Amino acid sequence: MRRRGSSAVWMILPLYLFTLIFVAGPLIYMVALSFSQSADGFGVEWAFTLENYKKILDPVYLQTFAESFQLALTSTAAICLIGYPFGYFMAKLSDGWKKKAMLALMLPFWVNSLIRLYGWIIILQNKGVLNFILKKLGIIEKPLRILYSYPAIVVGMIYVLLPFMILSVYSSAEKLDWSLVEAARDLGASKARAFWTVSFKLTLPGLLSGIILTFIPSMGLFFIADILGGNKIVLVGSLIQEQMTRGNNWPFAAALAVVLMLLTTIMIVLYRRITNVKELEGIG
Amino acid sequence: MKKLLAAALCAALAVPAAAVPVSADSEELVLFTWESMFPQEVLDGFEEETGIKIIYSNFDTDETMLEKLSMAEGGDYDIVIADDYILESVIQEGLAEKLDTSKLSGFENINPLYQGQFYDPDDAYTVPYGAGIPLIVYDPEMVDIEIKGYNDLWDESLEDSIALTANYRVINGITNLALGKSMNEEDVDSIAETGEKLLELAPNVRLIQDDNTQNSLLNGEASVAFLYTSQVMAALAENPDLEVVYPEEGLGFGIMGMFIPSQAPNKDGAYQFMDYILQPEVAAQCFDYIGYYCTNKAADELVNPDLVVPDSVTSGEIVQNVSAEANDQYNKNWTEFRAACD
Repeated sequence: MRRRGSSAVWMILPLYLFTLIFVAGPLIYMVALSFSQSADGFGVEWAFTLENYKKILDPVYLQTFAESFQLALTSTAAICLIGYPFGYFMAKLSDGWKKKAMLALMLPFWVNSLIRLYGWIIILQNKGVLNFILKKLGIIEKPLRILYSYPAIVVGMIYVLLPFMILSVYSSAEKLDWSLVEAARDLGASKARAFWTVSFKLTLPGLLSGIILTFIPSMGLFFIADILGGNKIVLVGSLIQEQMTRGNNWPFAAALAVVLMLLTTIMIVLYRRITNVKELEGIG
Repeated sequence: MKKLLAAALCAALAVPAAAVPVSADSEELVLFTWESMFPQEVLDGFEEETGIKIIYSNFDTDETMLEKLSMAEGGDYDIVIADDYILESVIQEGLAEKLDTSKLSGFENINPLYQGQFYDPDDAYTVPYGAGIPLIVYDPEMVDIEIKGYNDLWDESLEDSIALTANYRVINGITNLALGKSMNEEDVDSIAETGEKLLELAPNVRLIQDDNTQNSLLNGEASVAFLYTSQVMAALAENPDLEVVYPEEGLGFGIMGMFIPSQAPNKDGAYQFMDYILQPEVAAQCFDYIGYYCTNKAADELVNPDLVVPDSVTSGEIVQNVSAEANDQYNKNWTEFRAACD
């Protein structure tokens, strides 16, 4: 028994070491960095300061958090509206169609997301596919300037994150016991009422985890705003990247990263609180 | 077995970078710069003319160069070409040879526009080898005004039509130039003023992007673009009708410079090489090849005309490091500006 135990330790140890060195290490480094000063020119000066955190309170930088939050909220709301029905009805398909739908959903993942976003440029640009079609149909006379605008960013966000919502709603709708819905109908509930009181509540955990899966990444997905938005919206992610590279201010970038991490942690904790309510799980 | 593997891995990590070629023989010349900085004909031509064999050793970044050169205490290499800001450190650390210009018959060929810069104010150590100059390029068919300088970018008729590169110091810098200040303004209050001026540019900005910025000009998303040299060349190759503006307020540029390390094993060969490159015909071949602005006045007539800065331009400035406070304000200006562009 003892021998087995000790060999298990040796099996796990590399993993622990890996986590310690490559996850905890950088995290500690980042937190330490966030309390240091940036030196003139290049590099970091290891002198304790709260200046970096104070700087985040500057309206210019606070605004980037608000902007990120707003964009994440808008895209997540749109993703819910599209993704929930999609996942829900996908679960109702016959087995054969389910497989096909799943394949169609996964297929784009075989291509790098950056390349897919460049595809959107071709669709949205002045002389692009969308403007060409709208013009041919006589809907518009002058080409719409969609590329490098807010709506273009939202389209990109929806496009990249939608599958996460669909898959998580699908997986909870799949497990749904349809006989419960039938029972509600038998007892005289209208279709809408049966959906609202039975199906929706039972698929709510899927919807909520979908929200977490889309909201949190969308706080940090800055390359969409870069490519489709022409860099005109400053998100926290892009601010961090810029301060790390050209801006040459690692301590400030670290402080921003720490704050972003805290915010996302709070959201995950909130999510846990909500989903722990047994009623939602339908087993109360 | 595991231990063996671990030991092997450690050993692999500890193996130093490939040894540097050292020329003991005076018939060899070690050239140290980035990859593809000279056309093969030029290197072959030098070997033929002088009988000195060139050993081309390259580095990826200026910092690597400095590190290797200071480890060799200014030896091992005979000629080095690197960027302006690192040349300053090289000279300060005493790693560069003071040039004996009497050995350089072509020294007079250098375009004075690129001389007397901060890293070598008396031109005692370096010979410029090409310059990168971000410039305004526009499509005259889509623009109603004639653009002459940075200030024209603020013109109301250019609403939502300018593409900018994404370097915060360069964009702050040209705003400084538009206001008649130095690109490297250090005074925080003055930089804040620059920020206000920059905010007024926001409505005219269509996009901000560092990679392939010229594409937006070529596909009609933008009608004016502020581009790096390689992008200017790419844009002109695709559409020769585009107009290139050498801003009247002055240029911002980056210069690459050539120097002889203080302990170079073959200094005579190095002088010969420098002088060879300073010949107008050779220089023209080089600049055509690397696609940077011609720093050799005598070669202006021979090189691709797009690589020649017109005589009307008499001043230029290089972006240098500024104090942390100034840098902070430049960053803040930039973030505010980007947010205002939407």
